[in-house]
Amino acid sequence: MSKVYILGGAQTDFERNWTKEGKGMAALLKEVMADGLRRVGLSFDDVKELNKNNRVACFVGNFIAEKYTEQGHLGAFLTEVDPAFYGVPSARYEAACASSSVAIDAAQTKIKSGDYDVAIIVGWELMKTVDSAAGGDFLGRAAYYDREGKGIDLPFPKLFGKLADETLKKYPELDEKRYMDALAKISVINYGNAKRNPLAQTRKWFMSYDQASMRGTDTNPFVGGKLAVSDCSQVTDGAAVIVLWSEKFISEHSIAGKPIIKGYGHRVAPMLFEKKMADNERSEYILPWTRQAVLDAYRRSGLTVNDIDVFETHDCFTSSEYAAISAFGLTEPGKEYEAVESGMIAFDGKNPINLSGGLIGCGHPVGASGARMLLDLYKQVTVTAGGYQVKNARNGMMLNIGGSATTNYVYIVGVE
Amino acid sequence: MNIQIVTVIGATGTMGANVAGIFASFGNAKVYCVGRDIEKVKRTIPRIVKSVRADAIAKNLIPADFSMLEKCVAESDLIFESSKEYVQVKEEIATMVGKAMKPHAVSGTGSSGLSINTIAECYPNELRSRFFGIHMFNPPYTLQLCELTPTQYSDVQLKEELKEYLSGKLYRTVVEVKDSPAFLGNRIGFQFINEALQYAEKYKDNGGIDYIDAILGSFTGRTMAPLTTSDFVGIDVHKAIVDNIYENTQDYAHDTFVFPKFADKLVSDGKMGRKSGCGLYQLVRYDNGLKRQTVLDINTGLYRDVIHYVFPFADKMKQYVAEGDYRKAFERLVNNHSQEANICRHFLLNYIVYSLYAAKKVGYTIEAADDVMAAGFNWCPPLAMYQALSTVADVHALIRENLPDVCEKVNIDELLAEVKPSNYDYRMYFKSGRWVP
Repeated sequence: MSKVYILGGAQTDFERNWTKEGKGMAALLKEVMADGLRRVGLSFDDVKELNKNNRVACFVGNFIAEKYTEQGHLGAFLTEVDPAFYGVPSARYEAACASSSVAIDAAQTKIKSGDYDVAIIVGWELMKTVDSAAGGDFLGRAAYYDREGKGIDLPFPKLFGKLADETLKKYPELDEKRYMDALAKISVINYGNAKRNPLAQTRKWFMSYDQASMRGTDTNPFVGGKLAVSDCSQVTDGAAVIVLWSEKFISEHSIAGKPIIKGYGHRVAPMLFEKKMADNERSEYILPWTRQAVLDAYRRSGLTVNDIDVFETHDCFTSSEYAAISAFGLTEPGKEYEAVESGMIAFDGKNPINLSGGLIGCGHPVGASGARMLLDLYKQVTVTAGGYQVKNARNGMMLNIGGSATTNYVYIVGVE
Repeated sequence: MNIQIVTVIGATGTMGANVAGIFASFGNAKVYCVGRDIEKVKRTIPRIVKSVRADAIAKNLIPADFSMLEKCVAESDLIFESSKEYVQVKEEIATMVGKAMKPHAVSGTGSSGLSINTIAECYPNELRSRFFGIHMFNPPYTLQLCELTPTQYSDVQLKEELKEYLSGKLYRTVVEVKDSPAFLGNRIGFQFINEALQYAEKYKDNGGIDYIDAILGSFTGRTMAPLTTSDFVGIDVHKAIVDNIYENTQDYAHDTFVFPKFADKLVSDGKMGRKSGCGLYQLVRYDNGLKRQTVLDINTGLYRDVIHYVFPFADKMKQYVAEGDYRKAFERLVNNHSQEANICRHFLLNYIVYSLYAAKKVGYTIEAADDVMAAGFNWCPPLAMYQALSTVADVHALIRENLPDVCEKVNIDELLAEVKPSNYDYRMYFKSGRWVP
């Protein structure tokens, strides 16, 4: 099987509120596509030229534009970005918050098979078109809407609040205070990392351990069970572009030093949260299918956790990052707090998680998050992350989840 | 620089309160919040907490009054004075602080335009080097600009340490500026805003205030139209800033700092803008909950309904910006020769010229102009504006064509030779949102 190279890409500034700017998806996609192509040294004319021989295709990741922007048929919509996309094969991929990961997967498959040489992935979501109650209800469709979303105020915070409850239940030796402390620290690490990222949504916001620990106050109200606003990623507008190239194309252009996708994992857990929890009784892991996706990626890449220098994870809530720590293999299941307390996952730790700030710090435009994570791993392993670069990052792993850890996507990116 | 304890003098004022919040949150310092009336200070604390959205900082905020000032100052590593903009008041406070502060403490004033050197002279010789102008913008939680002004006495090493504290710890965009009236951000911003006010008078028969705001709305690279901004910050504040600049500076745009007579009358009538219920605009509220936005008719002195002007160039620009077609929007601006497009071009081009000009006078780098306008006003910064327009035209030629008077007074070639690519992305500043005053 031939290799899949990551050429790079771009993300929008996640601080921006496109609705307030009076701009819609056309403007968002024009900006991110222009930036993404420019970064990898492609022009719209190059796209046109490649398309003459059917060598380029587009893969759009988006969760639910039908609700937020009243628009479907999102693959075809790229023709509005530039006439260069006329005739370019393009389709939209959806797996809730893991939408752009499934787009990446489709793209890498087409590159590996030799069908196309250049794959352009764009993940995006405009979420500030509606108020938070309406948006929360839209997102409920990532769960089993009829049973877990409909008529429920902010269904997802409640589901991930339940994940916190279930974690404490599954590991009776885990002290609640210790667990909640670890969650507060996870939040603080993500906010702290975001301060170094010039495209992060919360880069100007204040967060401290004290503030993250003062749950249930006016400025940090509870949003779901034990979880408060500080445990929660925010509503974000944004897009990210990633460009993948085939091995053949890379050698044609004598480009060196670009990282490859070394492995992936894709597993789907039971849709209903209750069934997910019932299903984990057979496992030491609270999210066994998330763990399995990680194991699949290790197996496919021939790497182990010891080979991974940096991680990007799906911290839609602190409770999901907590579960990811053992899923990655950084600690034993039930002992995730060790990685938090020891500083292992902090910016200057041995295995930093979310150098970008993650979903809590950098932002979570749901359909863009997978592509944004892959881009951030690309930046780390190519030493182009600027203010949030760490030393000696050769391999990075990302975990992007959809729903209540229902769709689980893992990628390993590294230099050869 | 290790700042554990801070005293904020004038903590009940808008700026004093908000800056106390910055020290208490990002700085994680214990902050003595000093005001004349301790009960009022106590009532201000929840507002400070809210300004940084963090209950956790409440424990860092200690209310105090002037009887406790000496004790607070004596304990503090940093003293920040945010009292009224009167030299005499600030001098009195500086004298008190100078008597009580620790030898290794740092002292600063939040003055938005008084002479920092003059205030420095109130400090005893051995402490004079430890005093600076530290001018932040409101609200500091969202506007990160901090203009740092050393005096002729300031310790250079200490200045660097303070700069590092302000940027590294408090996350401020620190711009070092000279001790010049209104410093850099307000000099540039209020040149634009005051000239807009003069134009409102000049074009009063075309509609005046809302006419000019409709020409310079958010589609021209800002969040709020200039005269709406004046109404928002207070016409009295606007007047104080431009009067200070007019009286104490001299440059090619001197005449644009003359505060118009009609606006003078508003100030003397107590019509200061939004804070006093009316000013350039007046929002009329009815018992049934309906609201009506009205604007001052300069000719009659009465308030009338805001007009939703239809300017083809502006409507097209907004439409293009909404679609992300910035080039087409700028082409429309550059190639349209209606009176409104001419006015708009005049303002945007002079904004570039005056910003670069002022940065040379008041700042130390050309990028200072960009930093102050982006981080202090949230306007498309001048170098980014240059870049935006240069996607469709030779900006140099545009300036010659549109600003012949300015070109006679300023060496444009020399000024524009220093233009460099902006660190800011112009696209996010051009908005298509309907202009709502």
